[in-house]
Amino acid sequence: MTPFLSARGIVKRFPGVLANDHVDFDVNAGEIHALLGENGAGKSTLMQIVYGLYGRDAGEILIEGRPLDLRSTRDAIAAGIGMIHQEFMLVRRFSATENVVLGLKAGGALKPLDLEGPAREIAELSRRYGLQVDPAARIEHLPVGTQQRVEILKLLYRKAKLLILDEPTAVLTPGEAEALLKVLRTLADQGHAVVIVTHKLHEIMAAADRVTIMRDGRVVGSVKTAESSEAELARLMVGREVALTARRSTRPAGPSVLRVEGLTVMSDQGRSALEGLSLDLREGEILGLAGVDGNGQSELAQALTGLRTASGGRVLLGERDLTRASPAERRSAGVAYVPADRRHVGSVGALSIAENAILGDQRAYARFGLLDRKRGRSFAAGLMERFDIRPRKPDYPAGKLSGGNLQKVQLGRAIASDPRALIVEQPTRGLDVGAIEAVWAELLRLREAGKAILLISAELEEILNLSDRIAVIYEGRIMGELPAAQADLRRIGLMMAGSHGEEDGHADL
Amino acid sequence: MRIFERRAAPAEGAAAAALSTALAILAALAVGGLLFLPFGADPFSAYAALFGESFLTWRGFGFTLLKAAPLILIGLGTVVAWRTGFGFLGFEGCVMIGAAAATWVALMVREGQILAGLPFAAFLPLAILASLIAGGIWSGIVGLFKSRFGGNEVITSLMMNYVALLLVQYLVSGPLREPGGLPQSPRLPRETWLPQLFDGMRANAGILIALAAALVVWALLLRSRIGYEMVVTGLNPKAARFGGVEVGRRQFMAACLAGGLAAMAGMVEVLGLHHRLIDGMSGGVGFVGMVAALLGKLHPLGVVIASTLYAGMTVGADAMQRQAGLPSSIVFMIQSLIVLFILAGEFFRRYRLRLPGRRTASAGEGV
Amino acid sequence: MDVDFALTAFLTGWLAATVRLAGPLLLAALGELFAERAGVLNIGIEGVMLLGALVAWWAAWSTGSLWLGMLGGMAAGLTAGGFLGFMYVTAQASQVVVGVIFNIFALGLASYAYRLILGGASGAQTAVMFSVLPIPLLSEIPFLGPILFRHTPLVYLTALVAAGAWFVLRRTSFGLNLRAVGENPRAADTAGLDVTAYRYAGVLISCVAAGAAGAYLVLAQVGQFRETVVSGQGFIALAIVIFGRWDPLRAAIAALIFGAADALQLTLQIFTSGVPPQLLLALPYLVTILAMSGLIGKADQPESLMVPYSRE
Repeated sequence: MTPFLSARGIVKRFPGVLANDHVDFDVNAGEIHALLGENGAGKSTLMQIVYGLYGRDAGEILIEGRPLDLRSTRDAIAAGIGMIHQEFMLVRRFSATENVVLGLKAGGALKPLDLEGPAREIAELSRRYGLQVDPAARIEHLPVGTQQRVEILKLLYRKAKLLILDEPTAVLTPGEAEALLKVLRTLADQGHAVVIVTHKLHEIMAAADRVTIMRDGRVVGSVKTAESSEAELARLMVGREVALTARRSTRPAGPSVLRVEGLTVMSDQGRSALEGLSLDLREGEILGLAGVDGNGQSELAQALTGLRTASGGRVLLGERDLTRASPAERRSAGVAYVPADRRHVGSVGALSIAENAILGDQRAYARFGLLDRKRGRSFAAGLMERFDIRPRKPDYPAGKLSGGNLQKVQLGRAIASDPRALIVEQPTRGLDVGAIEAVWAELLRLREAGKAILLISAELEEILNLSDRIAVIYEGRIMGELPAAQADLRRIGLMMAGSHGEEDGHADL
Repeated sequence: MRIFERRAAPAEGAAAAALSTALAILAALAVGGLLFLPFGADPFSAYAALFGESFLTWRGFGFTLLKAAPLILIGLGTVVAWRTGFGFLGFEGCVMIGAAAATWVALMVREGQILAGLPFAAFLPLAILASLIAGGIWSGIVGLFKSRFGGNEVITSLMMNYVALLLVQYLVSGPLREPGGLPQSPRLPRETWLPQLFDGMRANAGILIALAAALVVWALLLRSRIGYEMVVTGLNPKAARFGGVEVGRRQFMAACLAGGLAAMAGMVEVLGLHHRLIDGMSGGVGFVGMVAALLGKLHPLGVVIASTLYAGMTVGADAMQRQAGLPSSIVFMIQSLIVLFILAGEFFRRYRLRLPGRRTASAGEGV
Repeated sequence: MDVDFALTAFLTGWLAATVRLAGPLLLAALGELFAERAGVLNIGIEGVMLLGALVAWWAAWSTGSLWLGMLGGMAAGLTAGGFLGFMYVTAQASQVVVGVIFNIFALGLASYAYRLILGGASGAQTAVMFSVLPIPLLSEIPFLGPILFRHTPLVYLTALVAAGAWFVLRRTSFGLNLRAVGENPRAADTAGLDVTAYRYAGVLISCVAAGAAGAYLVLAQVGQFRETVVSGQGFIALAIVIFGRWDPLRAAIAALIFGAADALQLTLQIFTSGVPPQLLLALPYLVTILAMSGLIGKADQPESLMVPYSRE
C-alpha cells in the first residue's frame, strides 16, 4: 500500500542546530500515527516542513507516491494536508461557521455572504464524524475541547485528507482528551490519515496505530503500538547515554529550607495548572524538577516567587508562611528567581547592564530615595568580572547581550542577593556549550555554599548532571521523586510521559 | 513584490537616531519652505526672520521664554506619563483645571477676601500646590480607571479634556464670572502676577518654575528609585513585576504627577500671561506640549530644548503674521510634520528600500 | 391647551435638531467603525473632517455644485487616508501618537489653505448649503414628519449609509474578513487573508467617511468654512463608536443620543432653566468616560485594536 504521505531524507538546518537529520517518515490513510520525542527532538520542525511553513534543505515529500512541489502552506492545503497548532487560529467572537469559511473565496466581496449552506454542510460533517459542534455557536462560549473540534472542522471543510495535530491534548481536560481520541479514531476509520505530535505515552498506547520516535533530529524507531510497550517507547525517546560531565561532590543535604504544601494554581487560561503539588527543598542540595514543557513548571516558579497567586496550599520559607507575600517581600525573605524568559521577564532590553543588575534590589541601592548609580555600576562591573560577562561595559544595553551573557547577568544578580533558596527555570535553554558549562559550574558552587536550589528543566541531561534528587512533574502533579544515585532514565522518561513508572517494573534492566 | 525589506536589525545607536531626527527636521523645514512661496515670500528670509525674531532679539526671546514655560511643563507631564506606559492625552484639560485652581486661589487674595494681603512668597507655593492637587486628581481619575479596572486611558483622557473645557466654561459664565463682563473671570490682583525676570522683558518667573520642574522630573525619573521603577514599568511591565515593582501603583503615581505638571502649565498661563481665567484659553497648548515632548525624545532636557524651539517658532510666526501677513499656521504644520517625519523615519530604520533588480546580501533568508 | 402646544413645538424642534446634528457625527462614526473593526484606532478623523470641510467648501464655492463639494470632501479624506494608512499600518507607528499629531497638522493645513484660497480677497462668502428636501407624504405625518422627513438629502443618505455599513460588516465576506483582521490577525493571516490590505481598507474607509462628514458640516449645517467647524466632533465620533459597541445600528442610536444632548442645549438656551448648559453638553463625554473606565466590564472592543501586526 502506498502511504498517503511520505517524507524522504528530510534535512533542516537552523543556525547552529541540525533540527532534522535525514528524516524518513510516512503515514497511511486510515491510521493514527503518533510522533514521539522530547523537546527539541525535531518533531515539530518535521511537521512544519510537511505543512509548508518551513522550507527544507534536502529531501522530498510524496503524496500518494507522487512528488509534491511544496513551497507554502497553500500548496500543502491544496494537497489535502491540514494542521492544527497548539494555539488555535480561531476568531473568538465569530461563530463556528464563520471561522470555518473565513478566507475561502466565495463569490464577490460585497455579495451577500451565504452562511446557511456552509452551516448545513458543517452540521453534516459534524454529525458524520461525531464532532458535536453547533455551527451557530460563538467560539468564546465553547469549551476548549469543542474549539479544537472547530479546528478539525476547518480542515475537513477544506477537504483535508491528512490531519496533523500538535500536542492536541495539552490544553484539554482528561475527559476532553478521551473524546478527542475517539473523534480521531472515527476520522481514521473513514479513511483519513492522522498524525498526533505528543509526548504522552498512555495516549499513544491507547489511540495510535503506529508511532515514530525522534531523538536529536533523527528517527530512532518506528513501531506498531500493538507490538510495543510504554517501557520500550520511553527507552527509545530518552535512551541515549547521558554524558555526566559535571563533577559533583557527594554531601548530605541539610535541613528543609523551602516547603511547598498542596499548592494549587490556575493558568492564564483559567485552567488548573498545579493540583495540590508538594515539594521540600533542602539546604545544600539541588532538586531537579524534570518534565516536558507546559506541565505546570512555569506556574510553579511564578507561584513560588509571588508572580502568580495560589488558589490553595502553602509556601513556607523556614517557618515563615510566604503564601500571600508580594514578590518584593519574598525576595527580601531570601527567595531568588532566575526566570526562563530572560529577555521578556528577567531583563529590560532598553536599559543598561548596570540598570538591569540592580533590578529587584533597587531598594538597597537607594539613599534618600535616590539611586546610588555609582554603586550600581561598580556592582555590575564586579558581576561582569566574576562571571566573565562580555562586553565588559556596565552601560551596554542588556538587550544586545548574547543569551549566555544575559543569563550570567540574571544568575549573578540572583546569587549576589545571597538568597536562601534559588529557583532557576530552564537555565541553559538556547545557550552554547561554553555558557552551559559556566552556568552549571555556578549552580554547583552555590550548592557547595549551602543554598537550596530548585532546578526546573526540560533537559534531562541537565537534571541528571546537577541534581541530588529528581522529581518529575506531569500535568501539574509530581509523578514521583527519586535520589539521583538511583535515577534511571527509563523510569524518568515514563514519568515524564505520564506513566507512574512503577508498574512496568525493572524488566528491561 | 515587496518594495521594502526588513533589516536584520534596526539601524540603532545615537548616530542613527540623531541623523533621522536631523533629516526629519530638514524635511519638515523644506516642506514648510514651499508653503511660503504662494504668498510671495522667500523661504530663506522668512526662516531668518522667524528664528531671528524669537531667538536673536531681546524682546522676542522674552516672548519665547514666556511661551516656553507652559510647553515645558506639559512636555514634562508627557514624559512622566508615557515613560511609565500610561498613554495619557488629557493635558489640555489638566491645563484648564490648573488654570481654574490657580485663579480661584488668586481671587482669594483680593481685598476683603479670606487671603487678602498674603505676600507673594506665600501665595506662590499655595497656588502651585492648588494646581498640582487639582490636576493630579483630574488625571488621577483616569489613572485609577486604568490601574484599578483596566480602563482605556486614551479615550477617557481625550473625553476628560472636553469635560474640563466645559467645567471652566461653566465657571467663567457662572460662579467666577466678572460681573457684567464677557464670560471670563475678574482680573487677578496684581500682587498675584508672576514677576518679570528683567525689566522690559516679557519673560517671567514661569520659565524658572518650568526649569525647576524639569530638574525635579529629571532627578525623579532618571535618578531616583521610584523613577527607576516607573521607567521599568513603562518598558516592560512583566520585568517590573519580576523586580518587585507594584506596576499599578507606579502608573497611578505617573498619572497624578503628569496631570499635576500640566496643571502647573495652566497656572503659569493664568498668573503670568492672561491674568484671568478665560473660556477656551488653553487653545491646544496641551497638544503642542505633547508634540514637543516627542521631539525631545521623552527626556527632560530634550523637552526643555524642544519646547523652547517650538515656543520660539510660535512667537516668530506671530510676528511674521503681524508684519508680513504670512499665515502663522505654517509653523503649526512644521511643528507637527517634524514629529510625523521622525515617526516615519523609525520605519526606514527598520526597513530599507529594495530596488527591483538589485539583490541584497540577506536575500536567501526567505519567509 | 397652550401648554400642550408649546410642549409639542419644543419636542418637535428639539427632536428634529437632534436628527440634524446627529448626521455628521454618525457618518464619521460609521467610517471609524471600519477602521477599528480592522484593528486601527484612527484618532486622526478629527483632522480629516476639518480637511474634508475645507475642500468641500472650496469645491462647492468655486464650482457652484454642492455635490462636487461633497465629492471634494471625500477626495480630501482619501488622500489623508493614504498618508495615515502608511503611518499606522506600514510604518507601524503608535496609532494614538500619529492620530493626535495629524490632527494638529490638519488644523494648520486647513487654516493655511483657507487663507490661500481667500487670497486676501475680501469676500463676504456666499453660503453654500443644501436646502431641505421634504419627502412627499411622509413629511406630512403629524409630529414624526417634521422630525424625520424634513431634512437635507444628506440626512437621508447618512441613514442609508448606516444600513449599508451594517450590511457590509455583517453580511458580506469583506465584512467578515475585515472583522477577523481586527480580532485575530494571525488567524486571518493563516486563513490566507492579506492583513495589511484589510487594514488599509479600514483606514481609507474611515478617512473618506470623515471627509464626507466634514463636507456635511459645511454643506448642510454652516454653509461656510470656519476653523472651528469641527472642534471635537471627530472625537465625539470616536466616542460614538465605543458607545455603540462597534455596531453600525447601535452607533446610530448613540449618535442620536449625542445629537439630542447637543440639540437640547441649543433649545434650552431659548427656554430658561436652572441647569447649566455645560452640564448637558458634558453628559455625552461623561457617559463615554464611564463606559470606557473598565467599571462596567470590557465592551466588545476588537481584540487587536491598536496592536500592529507583523509575521515575525
